Amino acid sequence: MNEPRDIEEILNPEAIAEGVGELARQIAYRCGGDEVAFVGIHTRGVTLARRVAAALEGHGLRYPVGTLDVSLYRDDFDRRGPDLPSLAGSDVPFSLDGIRVVLFDEVIYTGRTIRAALDGLMDYGRPAKIELAVLVDRGHREIPIQPDYVAKTLGTTREQHVKVRFQEDDGEEGVSLETPHKSTAA
Amino acid sequence: MSELKPRKDLLDIEGLELPEIEHVLSNAVPFKQLFQRSVKKVPALRGKTVLNLFYEPSTRTSSSFEVAANRLSADVTNFTVSSSSVVKGESLLDTIETLQAMRSDYIVIRHQAAGVPDIVAKHTGASVVNAGDGYHAHPTQALLDAMTFREVHPDYEGRKVVIVGDILHSRVARSTSTLFNKLGIEVAVLGPGTLVPGGRHDFMKRLRSWDEVFDWKPDAVYLLRVQLERQEGQFFPGIAEYHKMYGVNTQRLARMRQLGAYLMHPGPVNRGVEITDEAMRYERSLINTQVENGIAVRMAVLHWLQPETDTN
Amino acid sequence: MPSAKPRLFQNGRIASTASPELRAADVLVDGNGVIVAIGEGLSAPEDAELIDCSGCVLVPGMFDLHVHAREPGQEHKETLATCAAAALRGGVTGVVLMPDAAPPIDSGPLVKSAMDLVSELSPIPMHQSGCLTKGREGKEMAAFSGMASRGVPLLTDADRPVPCPDLMRRCMEYARDFDLLVASHTDTPALSKAGAVNEGNVSYRFGLPGIPAISQEIAIDRDIRVAQHTGARLHLQQISTARGLKSVQIAKEAGTLVTCEVSPHHLVLTEQDLRDYNTHFKFNPPLRPAADVEALVAGFIDGSIDVLASDHAPHTEFEKSSDFGSAPFGAAGLETAVPVIHDRFIRAGVFGWDLLIERYSAAPRRLAGFAPVAIAEGEKAEFFVFDPESETPVTRETMKTKSPVTPFLGKTLAGRVCGTALGGEWYGQG
Repeated sequence: MNEPRDIEEILNPEAIAEGVGELARQIAYRCGGDEVAFVGIHTRGVTLARRVAAALEGHGLRYPVGTLDVSLYRDDFDRRGPDLPSLAGSDVPFSLDGIRVVLFDEVIYTGRTIRAALDGLMDYGRPAKIELAVLVDRGHREIPIQPDYVAKTLGTTREQHVKVRFQEDDGEEGVSLETPHKSTAA
Repeated sequence: MSELKPRKDLLDIEGLELPEIEHVLSNAVPFKQLFQRSVKKVPALRGKTVLNLFYEPSTRTSSSFEVAANRLSADVTNFTVSSSSVVKGESLLDTIETLQAMRSDYIVIRHQAAGVPDIVAKHTGASVVNAGDGYHAHPTQALLDAMTFREVHPDYEGRKVVIVGDILHSRVARSTSTLFNKLGIEVAVLGPGTLVPGGRHDFMKRLRSWDEVFDWKPDAVYLLRVQLERQEGQFFPGIAEYHKMYGVNTQRLARMRQLGAYLMHPGPVNRGVEITDEAMRYERSLINTQVENGIAVRMAVLHWLQPETDTN
Repeated sequence: MPSAKPRLFQNGRIASTASPELRAADVLVDGNGVIVAIGEGLSAPEDAELIDCSGCVLVPGMFDLHVHAREPGQEHKETLATCAAAALRGGVTGVVLMPDAAPPIDSGPLVKSAMDLVSELSPIPMHQSGCLTKGREGKEMAAFSGMASRGVPLLTDADRPVPCPDLMRRCMEYARDFDLLVASHTDTPALSKAGAVNEGNVSYRFGLPGIPAISQEIAIDRDIRVAQHTGARLHLQQISTARGLKSVQIAKEAGTLVTCEVSPHHLVLTEQDLRDYNTHFKFNPPLRPAADVEALVAGFIDGSIDVLASDHAPHTEFEKSSDFGSAPFGAAGLETAVPVIHDRFIRAGVFGWDLLIERYSAAPRRLAGFAPVAIAEGEKAEFFVFDPESETPVTRETMKTKSPVTPFLGKTLAGRVCGTALGGEWYGQG
């Protein structure tokens, strides 16, 4: 992560707030009075879920927010590097059985994290329906999983890195697109 | 993410660094949370194999590792060598060859001879977890003890634990006291002179009676199991005398209650020896919590270790 | 009739028990293996082989009082031939064989057959000792007279004590009549039990059963008292503690006929050197704390310890690869003894070659009933050439013993035995 790179700011704090509002509007429109619960994927998916839930409270919709740590469901356990996952744990303090669950992550890329999250979610119960909300869809799916609610769609290359910073988690706010300097050695 | 050197084996506590201990203990917490779900299993070690190799019978520890491995979705093979056909030391290398052929990713081993897990670890790419070797070490017991103590005392630093019983021959005492010391928990021991190691062991304060114990005001009393078959007559005059001198009876329990001291024991308990029946119902007994935490800690250990079997 | 070419050892420096100073001189050995001239600038006879000893020390051949050659009976560990090769690489030109062969050497005929094997298979003199008790079982006295008549240098149960004090008393009383030296492995089995390392902090840390120091010290005291009572000559093998040494010193002051030996490993290693359950460090008696080692070194220098003896006890790597508790005691020691002592003491100036020659060449020969050897005109050639500037790598590949199991494996020791002259033979070490 130390190689030189170009950094382009994609969303400023205002644009993120707009994105959160957009997600809230879409969800309110489609979920309406259903029994709905939010589950955020650690770490920033949780923040996103909480912000959207707060926005919906203004519309008189109160949805509980659970958290999900997908480390134990990932399929890349063997490829982990020297950085060992510190488990945050999951906290889903309500029953998922028969309700509509909206899963939150800040970015969708290959779809593998979401796949792991779906496995994890199912271990907590049998929801009537599971939907996916993301702040940024940057493409390049490796498995057939698509988000239901998207605030911003972004064209990227695989070499690029989309970095979301939330005040609550990172102490600053913004979304940037990082492009490593072209390496001639392929 | 914590920056830790990848570690293949867990052989003892001495060799562990504090960040590694913290990593295991903190990861054990979310593992324990899984036990509240109806689905207690996660797929983290799906496709991996764990060999439970027990040269010394221990249903508890073996089961605990088995449950831990199962809850991580690993495949578990139990291999118990009955004590009647104790494998001679000389054939250890042959046994290791056989184990290699089984291509296990993790080998959980208990052996009556100290150092056997070290030898196995040297000769295999699998991650070796020492589940107790001779008088030497029982690191997962120590980790589960630390987890249990920290649950009731989140401000554990500077607190005090007295370990009572056969300190000399106890791998539990050795590993747990070493770990507690690393965590800044003071350890004292109480036991007959025949069962407390001679020489100087600076990290262990020696107390000579229960009165001294209560004056010391421990936050927990950790009773060791008396190995009845091994010791009666040789190290102390008899069970009755042991119970009288070192057991937790009604009066001692009352004083523990006054102090608010917790009770710990690695199990299985010899009722009427280390402890009276009444003490088994003590409201501050952590014995069952220790069992539950054992599974969580062993999951965290298996999840942490990195076998060298993935690459050729 | 000359059997070999004369050899001229040029520009070396000769060591002796007489002085720590080395004498610069050439040494000429004739075709019969006899030293015929010593002096500076000797001219070589026409057909002589010239051996350049520049910078080297010529040292009288060592004599090891405590060697397990494993043949007959355990040739998978060591043979007389590999044992002799190891001895020659270590500058050792004579050994006493322990009687713990299979079967144990506990009678005159067995001594004879063992000596027949030696004369057939060993290029160096090896002297077979005999058992104190039948089968080394510590129950009945062995047949001393037959063994005495075959010239055993000493009697010992080799690595086993005689547990019963009464039997030990009878052995000493009986041995006294033959003027046989009784060598005792001092241990109290009821105390040492299944111990594997010195009892103390290290045994506790490793969770290994300990061997308490008193296990040896009580046995030393007992045997000294029995020797005083019987008047027998007693030799204490492999002493390892300060307190045990003190007992020997007190006994010597009282005029008791007692001698003792120490091994190189007990002089240079402590229990703290044990790492990772490395069974190459498993000895009986075990490695002890530093304070004991310091006392042993002092005793080695002041003469309360008479003899250096390697306790050369080869075991195969396979045998040593088991867990620490089950692994056999002992390691190969013949070829590392001199380099180890040089590396640690002589090079550092703690003592000189004269002391090592006394402890490892002269004294053990006298104890075993032989005359000490010296590098002198008219004497048989029996010395080795040691290059203090070179080094001895201790590796599986370089070791001559059949079982390259030693605590020094992987180390490089300062100084090297370049070759050993024994009579008309020259055993150069590549």
